[in-house]
Amino acid sequence: MTALSPGLSPESATRAAGPGRSAVRRLAGSLHRRPRLRLAALLTAPLLWLVLAYLGSLAALFLSAFWSTDTFTSEVVRIWTSQNFEELVGSPVYRTVALRTIGVALAVTALCAVIAFPLAFYTARVAHPQRRPLFVVAMLMPLWAGYLVKVYAWRLILSEGGPLDWALRPLGLSGPGYGLTATVLVLTYLWLPYMVLPIHTALAQLPDSLLHASADLGARTWRTFVSVVLPLVWPAVAAGSVFTFSLSLGDYITVQIVGGKTQLIGNLVYSNVTLNLPLAAALGTVPVAVIVVYLLAVRRSGALRSL
Amino acid sequence: MNLSRPARIALRTAAGLGFAAIYLPLLLVLLGSLNQDRSASWPPPGLTLDWWAAAWDNEGARAALWTSVRAGLAATAVALVLGTLIAFAVQRYSFFGREAVSFAVVLPIALPGIVTGIALNSAFGTVLEPLGVGLGMFTVVVGHATFCIVVVFNNVVARLRRLPGSYEEAAMDLGAHTFRVFWDITLPLLRSALLAGGLLAFALSFDEIVVTTFTAGPGVQTLPVWIFNNMTRPQQAPVVNVVAAALVLLSVLPIYAAQRLSSDTPGGGRV
Repeated sequence: MTALSPGLSPESATRAAGPGRSAVRRLAGSLHRRPRLRLAALLTAPLLWLVLAYLGSLAALFLSAFWSTDTFTSEVVRIWTSQNFEELVGSPVYRTVALRTIGVALAVTALCAVIAFPLAFYTARVAHPQRRPLFVVAMLMPLWAGYLVKVYAWRLILSEGGPLDWALRPLGLSGPGYGLTATVLVLTYLWLPYMVLPIHTALAQLPDSLLHASADLGARTWRTFVSVVLPLVWPAVAAGSVFTFSLSLGDYITVQIVGGKTQLIGNLVYSNVTLNLPLAAALGTVPVAVIVVYLLAVRRSGALRSL
Repeated sequence: MNLSRPARIALRTAAGLGFAAIYLPLLLVLLGSLNQDRSASWPPPGLTLDWWAAAWDNEGARAALWTSVRAGLAATAVALVLGTLIAFAVQRYSFFGREAVSFAVVLPIALPGIVTGIALNSAFGTVLEPLGVGLGMFTVVVGHATFCIVVVFNNVVARLRRLPGSYEEAAMDLGAHTFRVFWDITLPLLRSALLAGGLLAFALSFDEIVVTTFTAGPGVQTLPVWIFNNMTRPQQAPVVNVVAAALVLLSVLPIYAAQRLSSDTPGGGRV
């Protein structure tokens, strides 16, 4: 493989003529002989970008969480202090908001799983096999429709006297309006495809033989579902939940648009950025820490391998 | 699994309701863009196409669309280059820190956008501002490219994993040098993966609002930022409706492209 005889292909022989060509060839040859040099050439630019620009600014941000802000000038004071984290743990407001955020993320994840399962079960195992690809497209399509467009749609739907109120009025009911319920509802709508798709894939890959074997051994439908289908699909649910959970945890736009006065941790970060960056950075560590804990918990189920 | 008839009917109903819940809000946006009433009252008193014409003439919306397209194309270009480079390094070489590199690629999309946003914002403020580079188009592209790298990386890695090395070896045996092999053999084999990754990267960038908020200066407004800023302004409501409806209609395009891509190649792109 290392022996390159330049004359073998007539085309390359003619192209190799001229000084420019031979310089390219020499460079190619020296790269070919030095795999470490090739690796360095591949990695230099992306690592400069990701490590220096991105990880560097992340590290600087979390470092600044240990600084404080002058209350009069809003200037960052670069003296090492754990004051922000003490405020975070000690203040009941931050605790309530943090717990509310985790609660919202868990509720959205649970709702997504409950809605996604029957949907995916239908598209993967009940629907006519020829129509299944069409259903997959139908599930993917809302993903492309745009985050803000979908939140905006719900802002219109939930508005006072809007379509939902109008539809519920004959029943003597009214919609939830803007608030915490609306936030959970809209976040569920936004992240549902991230849950449906992995479950659909897992269900579609379920070997028929296992289901037949279960039936042959005398298990009824429900028993087969609980003992065979559910354990095999569980990692997919966990994989989907990583998206639904972490996306809900960091969101602040949806809450601003349909949440009324509701505040989640993202809103607190947002409102502190300009005036008190160290506190915003400290608040920002909360969702990151929760996501890391969640990822570690989910990794035990083996779900991350199927991501 | 042998499902009973009632179970099938129940599942079919549940799926029907699910799809209805997914598509009704989008349909309402389409209908809302035709609403004759300026304040989008419900039910609409009548339908009209006038707002579409008004939106077409709206300078702000058009400028924002153009900004979004430029930012998306630039971020996609950067992400295509960087993502492919990392994919080759991770898939073809073993080196110290390989796992860490693939983790660092995923991180920008795994962390909440607001954390990435304020991290980049304060870094730009301390590093770029003294150099005379303020927040603007450049910083938006840097921010977007950072989280777009991962989708290109995923697509190219998946393709490289399935690619047999024999084609490239054959080309080298026939005398092609490293660059010729890449240009004539590897790149054509990667083409649909790169297209799929690029498409996804563009869509991610086009849809992004959080990182954009923190990396764009006051002069740069992408389409999502424009929608967000105009959402609560009553006199802009009809135009916002039309822009939202147009985006819903446009979302058919990438789906069509993705279907074409995945039917072109066995295994397909991961869109």
